Amino acid sequence: MDFSSPSPPMGSGQSPEALMEQVQAQLAQAYMEELVETLRGKCFDKCIAKPGSSLSSGESSCVSRCVDRYMEATGIIRRSLFSQQR
Amino acid sequence: MDRDLANNPQLIQFLSQEKERAMANEVVAKITSSCWDKCVDKPGSKFSSSESSCLSNCALRYMDMTMLIMKRFQQ
Repeated sequence: MDFSSPSPPMGSGQSPEALMEQVQAQLAQAYMEELVETLRGKCFDKCIAKPGSSLSSGESSCVSRCVDRYMEATGIIRRSLFSQQR
Repeated sequence: MDRDLANNPQLIQFLSQEKERAMANEVVAKITSSCWDKCVDKPGSKFSSSESSCLSNCALRYMDMTMLIMKRFQQ
């Protein structure tokens, strides 16, 4: 996905297909940005107890694990909520 | 928006689907945030079975609680 090139203003002589693609791309980017924001907060809280003059290797690997686990948690929650319709 | 596009049934359905998808994503994100705080102490290289069950239980209890709140509201 290339977000650096300018895109035409929405709805100006675009085909419905192009418009739908553009909307989906923007929604996906917004979702990703929010996810990164969340990960920053959560993983900073869990992994960086006492900020030092640089990130230790322990802190770095904690952050990697944190990102992986949080993504996994998101999947667990999603399946828990949507695989059985209550 | 073009009047034609605004009445395009394909677009209308598409927007409705994307809206539902976005709302579902928001619910998942909110619950994941709370349940992560409750269930995960220090992120390991995989979840223990107690962490996994805590997470899936947490989501369901959150929904149970939502029903309870709505009922209470109506009393």
